[in-house]
Amino acid sequence: MNGPATTWYLALAAFLFGIGALGVLVRRNPLIVLLSLELMLNGGNLALIAFSRHFANGSGQIFGLAVMAVAAAEVCVGLGLVVAINRRNLALDVDRLSELRG
Amino acid sequence: MTYGSWICLLSPFVAAVLIMFGGTNLSRRVAAWIATTGVFVAFGGAIWAFLGVHAQPGQVGEYTRAWTWLQSGSFSVNLELLVDPLSTVMMLIVAGVGGLIVLYSIGYMDGDPEERRYFAYIAFFVFSMLMLVEGGNLLMLLVGWGLVGLSSYLLIGFWHEKPSAIQAAKKAFVMNAFGDATMALALFILIFHTQSLSFGALSAPLSGSTANWIALGLLGGAAAKSAQIPLHTWLPDAMEGPTPVSALIHAATMVTAGVYLIARTHAIFEQARTIELIAAGIGALTLLVAGFIALVQTDIKRVIAYSTMSQIGYMFLAVGVGGYANGMFHLMTHAFFKALLFMTAGLAIHALAGEQDIRNMRGLGKVMPFTKWCFLAGALALVGIPPFSGFFSKDPIIASTLNIGWYGYVFYACGLIGAFLTGLYTFRLWFLVFPGEPSPFVREHYHDHHGREGAWTMLVPVGVLAVLATVGGWIQWAPHWEPFTKWLEPVAPTLAAAVPTSTQETVTSILTVLVGAAGIALAWAIYAEKRVEIPAMPAAQRLLENKFYFDELYDRIFYAPAAAIANSLRTEIEEPVILQGGTDLGQTALDAGGAVRRIQTGVLRTYVFFLAAGAAVLVLAFLIAK
Amino acid sequence: MSTAHLTTILIWLPIAGAILVALLPLSKYATGSIAVLVSLIEVGFWIEQASNFHFSRPGLQMSEQAKWFGDLGITYHVGVYGFSVWLIGLTVVGMAACLGYGFWVGRDRPRAYFALMLLLTGATVGVFASQDLVLFYAFFEAMLIPLYVLIGVWGGARRMEATVKFVIYTMAGSLLMLAAVIAYGIHAGTFDLVTGPVSSSRWLFLGFMVAFAIKSPLIPFHGWLPDAYREAPPEIAAVLSGVIAKAGLYGMLLIAIPLFPDPTSFYRTAILGLAAATLVYGSLLAFRAPDFRGVVLYSSLAQSGLIVLGLFSGSTLGRDGAVLQMVAHGLVSIALFLVAGVVERRTTTGEFRLLGGMARGRPMLATLLMAIGVISLAVPGSANFAGEFLILAGVFQRAWWWAAIGAGAIVLAAMYMLRLISAVLHEARGSTVGDEAMDLRAGELALVAPLVAGLLLLSAWPAAISSHSFVGPWPKQPPPGAPK
Repeated sequence: MNGPATTWYLALAAFLFGIGALGVLVRRNPLIVLLSLELMLNGGNLALIAFSRHFANGSGQIFGLAVMAVAAAEVCVGLGLVVAINRRNLALDVDRLSELRG
Repeated sequence: MTYGSWICLLSPFVAAVLIMFGGTNLSRRVAAWIATTGVFVAFGGAIWAFLGVHAQPGQVGEYTRAWTWLQSGSFSVNLELLVDPLSTVMMLIVAGVGGLIVLYSIGYMDGDPEERRYFAYIAFFVFSMLMLVEGGNLLMLLVGWGLVGLSSYLLIGFWHEKPSAIQAAKKAFVMNAFGDATMALALFILIFHTQSLSFGALSAPLSGSTANWIALGLLGGAAAKSAQIPLHTWLPDAMEGPTPVSALIHAATMVTAGVYLIARTHAIFEQARTIELIAAGIGALTLLVAGFIALVQTDIKRVIAYSTMSQIGYMFLAVGVGGYANGMFHLMTHAFFKALLFMTAGLAIHALAGEQDIRNMRGLGKVMPFTKWCFLAGALALVGIPPFSGFFSKDPIIASTLNIGWYGYVFYACGLIGAFLTGLYTFRLWFLVFPGEPSPFVREHYHDHHGREGAWTMLVPVGVLAVLATVGGWIQWAPHWEPFTKWLEPVAPTLAAAVPTSTQETVTSILTVLVGAAGIALAWAIYAEKRVEIPAMPAAQRLLENKFYFDELYDRIFYAPAAAIANSLRTEIEEPVILQGGTDLGQTALDAGGAVRRIQTGVLRTYVFFLAAGAAVLVLAFLIAK
Repeated sequence: MSTAHLTTILIWLPIAGAILVALLPLSKYATGSIAVLVSLIEVGFWIEQASNFHFSRPGLQMSEQAKWFGDLGITYHVGVYGFSVWLIGLTVVGMAACLGYGFWVGRDRPRAYFALMLLLTGATVGVFASQDLVLFYAFFEAMLIPLYVLIGVWGGARRMEATVKFVIYTMAGSLLMLAAVIAYGIHAGTFDLVTGPVSSSRWLFLGFMVAFAIKSPLIPFHGWLPDAYREAPPEIAAVLSGVIAKAGLYGMLLIAIPLFPDPTSFYRTAILGLAAATLVYGSLLAFRAPDFRGVVLYSSLAQSGLIVLGLFSGSTLGRDGAVLQMVAHGLVSIALFLVAGVVERRTTTGEFRLLGGMARGRPMLATLLMAIGVISLAVPGSANFAGEFLILAGVFQRAWWWAAIGAGAIVLAAMYMLRLISAVLHEARGSTVGDEAMDLRAGELALVAPLVAGLLLLSAWPAAISSHSFVGPWPKQPPPGAPK
């Protein structure tokens, strides 16, 4: 098999996922949070594709495509929300958007 | 003849429905005449049925079935009528006397703001009563039985703004519901053993205790409906209703239904001879107790009401010893003379603007001679003075007790004492109300109706009944001339033990008339001539005025405990345990929700943190498990 | 049109109607009219069903079956027996009257209100027509959801408390039933009620029974009932006691008794005892209740005990009487609650010490209340009398004392019902009864009078139900290990 071992891909995927997760946790700007989410999704995607190649099974790639579609949809909704929040002159700060408090 | 029975049953029903739906579109007069016509048409139907039975001597009866009323599995009960000698006699009495009384009501109720409702009710009552007597099986009988109770409730409480009337109506209904319940239990036993509720099922051989229980249940119903001890306390209170109602329901027809019931179901009572004798004993006891209480009552209707109880006691005595025809015959003559007494009392009450206290009525005969003579006819019939009707019907009852054993002599003595009391209380009433100069009260309050003592609709029925009370007994003079007994022979043959010898009959007749006359004489001495003082016995007086404390007793042992139990169930169990328990449960759930709610901060960061932490824990758990 | 579809139509027509009125942005008047119209069409379809039903033929009729969750063996299986037809009739007629009442008094938020009422109708019919346990459970739950909202939104002052209790009690029952449904299905390999084998598991039986005993209800499971019946709007209280409570009793008849013959006879005495206790307890409390609805709600409790006596009597008489009594009491209690609503609207109260004397000058109110009252106290000759008579005659065959207790309770029924009648209608005029408190208006008469007419018809011919509910023995006793 050509190229680096699957482990490397997985390590990269975990790294991407970790950066993304950290970003989601620590950043307050919703745009950056969305960006970080994309990183997490792509980390997951990378792992899927890596496994797909490792096991020579196409299902993982199909999953990867599905995740991309989901990611695109999510960005649409998320950006829409960000625009809507902005238009209402609310602070772009996820900690202050706590209307759903129980 | 079966058409006759259906016409008889349905015409009062149709009248009641017409009046109800007519509502205010009908004038009061029209409503009254619809009811009257309906009941007289029923009388026509009764005559048709009677002639039909008469034309076929020896036949025991004919059933007609309309449809299957109730069915379940192999058990079924038809809506069916029975035309036989017993039911035709009752139909004639109910529709005949009923028609006269409804006619009388036209005058009596004139001007009442809810006259239409009255006539709808009374037509409905006649329908129910006919259902009772024509019903071709025990369930149809029970249906009529319950419906007469309902219409009695409606009519006693007719003046519904009077709390006493409503109380009396409720009391009557509840006591009768108790009777209905015991009857229903008797029917359950019968269904259990025979899978049937036909009258024929009563002749099926049953074990002794089964027959006893069935008979006891039926007796409970009969005693409640006929106001016999211990279920009698509703009847005097029922006098709160309009007087024609008292005449029709609480004298002539409904209250005598118990007697009809025992005659109709005599097959089971003969299997349960003990219970039948208990019925006789109840009758004997009631006739004495009611006779005593009647001595001290001051309300004219209540005196007659106690007299009714007492006379029904005689009928129970008669059917209890096995003389069904005697009981039915007394039922018939009693319907005539007691309806008459109530209606003459009604004339007096009507003319005196609603006054019912006999102490205010002295000398009424001067201004109301027709009422006076009619009342006298009724009173003599009640006491049993020949040739009035009561003489022919009461004496055979007393005589029939002589051959049944030692208790027969006790019954005999009770019957004679009762006859004495009847003379005394009836003529106490007579001497207090009619003879002499009119009292100031009578002078002040008496008002006539266009120069007469009442409207013609009131006077005509009174006159007819006065004639019937006089001559109505002539159709039978035991033991010489007994067509009535013969007529009932196919359905309710008199037991051999209840047939006295002709010596016994003659001696009893003489004795009964003598003690009755003695009662009259004593009443005359006390109340007219004032020669004899009423012996001062305050204790006895109080006991009688309080009607032997039955009401208080029942209040103490039934109503009060039931109310107390219900109240304590409410305050001890329902409210603190069930309702509060539910509330606490709900509160706990809400509190738990409130506690958990705090986790929901609304800050995205916390959610993500928990998510990540949860995932981490899961991963760790997997690793460790491996 | 094939009559086989009638059952399905009866279930889904009102639900379609519910979606329609919820979506169409129409005025209050138009929304209400459409809803009432749908409920009347529903009644029409029921008449079509009843007249096409072969009452002399045994077994399920007008049934349809379709795969739902194929791999679990759950199917959409609906169909009716004779007794189901009568209960569906009670549902559609009662719901039409109650919907009409809501229209008449002009409930606010009409689109939500009428949609929920129609949804409730469809779900209840579904309960009475389901022949698959999971489907039955689904409809049973679907029936409760609209009720939560209807009580919680349109109820009286303490409606939240009442709703919370109602939710907790019914949820607890439903979860027990769900567990029992799943366990039965896994054990039997099928959820079908027609072909399902009998089970002898006492735990499963108790799971079903507790759920049904909460819904019916029996003591001591009735904690939700007083508050719910008092706080709900009158037409919802009418639906609860007239129709929904019958679903619990129907569940006993359709599921608990036939599927669990051994546990039924094992627990028979205990259940009869509980039923008799409910009967006496309810009657006594009704006798001392201080208000109109109090009397009616405790009498409903008592009646539920009576019907359970009949169901568990194990006799034909008791079983037929119980079905007759379900329908007759359903009509009576709907009518009584609607009249309670009518009285409350005129006087702002149902408390007896503030009422009285309404008979004078209000002949229609007086006549109808009197008629309903005396039918409800089972005056001989009424449909309720016929039902009670059969039930008690049936349970008498088990042991005499059950019948004696029942007969005693009937005397109590006379006491509390007459107390209700005279407290509202008779004696001195109550302080809240003004001259402006009118007699029944035409609309109210049109709602209550048909119910009374139905009761009178049933009184004339109670055999219409008592001998047209079952053909042959019930429970039907499928052979052990019936085909899957």
